[in-house]
Order: sequence, then structure tokens, then C-alpha cells
Amino acid sequence: MLSEREVISTLNMLRNEHLDVRTVTLGVSLFDCVSHDLDLFTANVRAKIRRYAAQLVTVCNEVGDKYGIPVVNKRISVSPVAVVGAPFGPAGMVTIGKSLDEAAKECGVDFLGGFSALVEKGFAKGDRALIDALPQALAETDRICSSINVASSRSGINMDAVALMGEQILKVARATADRGGIGCAKLVVFANIPQDIPFMAGAYLGVGEPDVVINVGVSGPGVVKKALERAREAGHNADGTPMTLLDMAEVIKRTAYKVTRVGEMIGSEVAGRLGIPFGVCDLSLAPTPAVGDSVGEIFQTLGLSSIGAPGSTAVLAMLNDAVKKGGAFASSSVGGLSGAFIPVSEDSSIEAAATSGLLSLEKLEALTSVCSVGLDMIAIPGDTSAATIAGMIADEMAIGMINHKTTAVRLIPAPGKRVGEEVVFGGLLGRAAVIPVPKGDSSVFIGLGGRIPAPIHSLKN
Amino acid sequence: MPKYTASFLGRDCPGVVATIGHILEEAGCNIEEVTQTILSGEFAAIFVVAAPLADADALRARFCAGLAQAQVDLSVLVRPAIEGQWGVGLHYEPFVVTADGADRPGLIASMSRVFARHGVNIESLKAILGEGGAHHALFAFEVMVPDSVDLGRLRRELACEAQNHGLRVSVQHRDIFEAVHRVNSF
Repeated sequence: MLSEREVISTLNMLRNEHLDVRTVTLGVSLFDCVSHDLDLFTANVRAKIRRYAAQLVTVCNEVGDKYGIPVVNKRISVSPVAVVGAPFGPAGMVTIGKSLDEAAKECGVDFLGGFSALVEKGFAKGDRALIDALPQALAETDRICSSINVASSRSGINMDAVALMGEQILKVARATADRGGIGCAKLVVFANIPQDIPFMAGAYLGVGEPDVVINVGVSGPGVVKKALERAREAGHNADGTPMTLLDMAEVIKRTAYKVTRVGEMIGSEVAGRLGIPFGVCDLSLAPTPAVGDSVGEIFQTLGLSSIGAPGSTAVLAMLNDAVKKGGAFASSSVGGLSGAFIPVSEDSSIEAAATSGLLSLEKLEALTSVCSVGLDMIAIPGDTSAATIAGMIADEMAIGMINHKTTAVRLIPAPGKRVGEEVVFGGLLGRAAVIPVPKGDSSVFIGLGGRIPAPIHSLKN
Repeated sequence: MPKYTASFLGRDCPGVVATIGHILEEAGCNIEEVTQTILSGEFAAIFVVAAPLADADALRARFCAGLAQAQVDLSVLVRPAIEGQWGVGLHYEPFVVTADGADRPGLIASMSRVFARHGVNIESLKAILGEGGAHHALFAFEVMVPDSVDLGRLRRELACEAQNHGLRVSVQHRDIFEAVHRVNSF
């Protein structure tokens, strides 16, 4: 029999604290679909995705109903298109993107990731074709997400790719200017991209992954915040001693355990019903624009006036670490990004801090050194130069490369918008005010091109 | 030896289980299953025992005599144990159904009528009063739902019944409660 506390606590997590499984992502390898013929290739891709994903949404909904925990997003990740579509030029890549978009709509998933290239050490023919195709592909599709890995701790930073992405991000923004530059919300530049991310826009299925696999992304910033609020209201531990940050870290850890167990259970059951192996649980605190489902609010619960105030990096470091510790024990296989996300437009509290000037791009960059992802969903002026965007990418990639962690950049140069003006993306992508970019000129540095070599792997200080 | 189900009900106090245990031992009973609870100061226990007596009334008389001698005021009921409990041969899944809202008479009756209509067995029922405010009640039913039951229809009928009484209802597989709060495999 269950205890009263177990029943009430679970109900509260569901009803009042936004507990959900943020995404169940079906990974589909496309390597066995390759062909020199574009029509044959896209037909193979459509058939394979249809074969494995036709029941994905139905099964996720059934399992969500069974446990009373909604699976908010059902998604698909595929092998990097730049690799499996290497024989084709930019026009062919656009065709592949459209075909994947139709497959995603046919299966009822909200996003399909994997329109991706891995170019940390250099460009292959397919990589260049895919990157050239990005503006048109992202403008003419609705559900395709793209990721470009331009750096790694083993290979260094491909500065030619960084410079190119600075230009392409601007072109994607212009190509989707009628929708606030939303194409850029589906394009991420990475360092050390994991092969099994279930979260968008970075999801793709790496070359070392199984033929098909189910990966799950759990979230739960609202649950963590409420648990911390209860602890702070009590003000002391069970033995009467005052509650300190050490105790708060324990609260986060225990809560992350609970949230992750939910994801592990639901992911395993979905995988079992589909007859597909279960891959990993990505233990990330992924906010939504809903009040109470915010990572930024956790900073306030822990005593800061706002995210961005002095102490924010320390809070995020503690939060990120405690989430990993609790989640790792709850899951048989942890993977993906696994950490706290700080996407500005998708988190009402972070967005408010950025809009009011309490949180600058410089501070956001500092925060990314201790959490997963990076400069995420940040609206910048539409007239920002490609060199400035490339410079910001280079800085973020350097943090990832040197610290052996994933970092990423998802900037939206909002077309025609200036600092302080608002851009609205809608849904989970939220809204954001345009914030200023760092001053100074990076153009000569970016113009040098080449590669920043991989860092030394000893002498760690 | 024949099996009997014996229930004891009365005011709770230290030593009540010791007294019952002693009486059962004196009667030569072997305890095979037992469950016991306390509610608002009332003690209740059900024992399934194997006893060397061929008559439930004789066994009850023996228990009553023992309780009188020990000066413990408990009501006793003894019946021959039932053979073949509900659910044998059925395949079913455990669910937790909660209904909560303003407390008033008739809530349990109306919800349990839906379960009865669908052949769903209630294995545990808890009423948690005051959680969420004064006059607020939360009823947690742990139920066994046979595979033959249309779960979607059961949910809709429960939701409809709950709505009529101004209650919020949730239906969740029990495993999720255990997965979240306990360190065990699922």
C-alpha cells in the first residue's frame, strides 16, 4: 500500500509543479537508406521513418495516460544528413529537408532533428552542401531542426566553419524574416555535440548509435523549484539544524531522482511497446515559457534577486551538479546534454532578467561554463554583423573545447529589430526582447580562418 | 486443520496485540495471514488462522472467553475462511484513483459505484482530510483493473461522476508512485 505522503507528493508534482516527460525522441539511422539517386534516397528515408515512427505518437499518448504523466513532445532524430546525403548538392539537401519535414508531419511529431553536419576538423562535400542549403531548407520547412558541430576538445575549433555559420545564421534569419527569424530557433552551432541528444534543436543520431533507439528527455524545473520552496519555508532540517546550501543541494538531488525515474519508466515502456531498444535518459532542466516551469525562478528561490545577480554562476553550478547526481542514480543510462538549460526566450524569468538588463550576454556566457548547452534562444539586433556573431560563437566554442563539455549557440538576429524591441516565436519557443551584443570588432580575427588547435589534455589548470 | 477468518475490533491500547496473540496461541491456532490498522483510536485486525476446532462459533466463544478473562473489550467475528479469493485467474493491473474536493457525504459511494459497475476491485481506500485546506478531502483508491476493462471508458465515467460532485479525479498506474518514491526496480 502507498503512504499518504507518496500519493499527495506525486499528485502535487503532476498538478502544480509541471511534472512531465519533456520529450520521447525516436532515433532512426538513415545509413541503410543511402543512394546515389535523390528520389530513391528520399523514398527510402520516408519508408524507414514511417515504418518505425508510425505508432510513436499513439504509444507515447497511451503510456502517458497510463501513468498520468504527459509526454509533451514526440520527436525524431536521424543520422546527420550531411553524411547520408553526401553525394548531393545544396538543392538536393533542400529536397531532403522537405522530404524529412513531410515525414515528420505524416508521423505527427513536432520536430525532426538531424539536418546536421559535423565539421570540427574540416568540411566534406556533403557538409558544405548542407550548410549552404540551410537558409532555404529552414525557410521552406516547418519541423526540421539543424545542428552544426564546429568544435571539439579532440579536434579544436574549425574557425572557417565558425565564420561561415556567422554568415549563415544571418541568411537564415533573413530567409525567415516574415516569422521573426524563426529559422534561427531551429539552428544550433555546437562544440562537443553528444550523439544521443533527445532535445531539439540539437537532436541527431550519431554514427555510433543503434539502427533505431528511443531516447528520453526529462525536465522538471517546476518540481525542483517547489521542493526548494518547501525546504526554505521549513527553514530547518528534520533534526532542527538550520538549512544551508548543502541541504538545498540534497533537495535538488532527491527531486532530480524522482523526475528522472518518471522519464526512465515511461521511456522504457514506450521502447518496449514499439519493440525498439531504450537508449538514454537526458537529465536536463528544460524550462517552458509557463510561469512555474522556469529555471530562472530557481535562482530566486535560492535567494538571488534574479538570475544575473552576483552568485548566479555559483547557483547554476550547484544546480547543474545536483541534478546530475540525483538523475544518474535514477537512470540506467544517462546521456544527451544532461544539465540545466538557460534558453532566454523559452524561460519567462530569464527573459525578464535579460529584458530588464539584469542579465547580459556576457553573464550568460559565464553561466554556460557551468551548465549544459550555451547561448540559447537569444534575440540580438537584426543588423548584427556576421563577424560579431562568429566571434560570439568562437568564444562559446572555446569554453566547450577547453572544459571538455558541450556548449552551443542558438542566436536569433531578429530581422529589422533593434535593442529593446520584442520578437515573438510562440509556443514553447516563447518570446524575447532584443538584447545588445558585446561591443568591439572581431572581423579581422574571424577573417584569419583556419583552425584553433585542440587543447593539451594534461596540465589541467 | 480448517481455516478461519477472525476479526477483532475495539479501542486501541498497548498490549492488545499481545492479548490476542496469547488467546490464539492458547486455542492452538496457527496464524497464516494478518493485517492490522488503527483509525481514530480504534484497533482493527483480521487474522486468517488454521485452528483445531471444527466450528467457527466454538472458536469465537473461545476467543471471547479469553478476552473477557484478560479484561480487553474487543468485538470478535469468526467465519470459515473463503477459498478462492477475487482475481484468481484474472489478469489485472494496479491503478491509483484519487478524487479530491470539498468534503461532503456520498463521495465514496458514488465513486465506488463506478468501480463496481466495471468489475474493478478496491484493494485499499484512504480518506485524507484537511490536506489542501479545511473541509477538503482527498480519497485515494488503490484498485485492481482487469485487462478486460475499457480503461478509457472507466476514466470517462469516473471523471463524469467526479464532476457531478465537484471533485478532481486522477487515474494513474500504481507503478509511477513507487518509481518516484522508492528505490526499487520497475
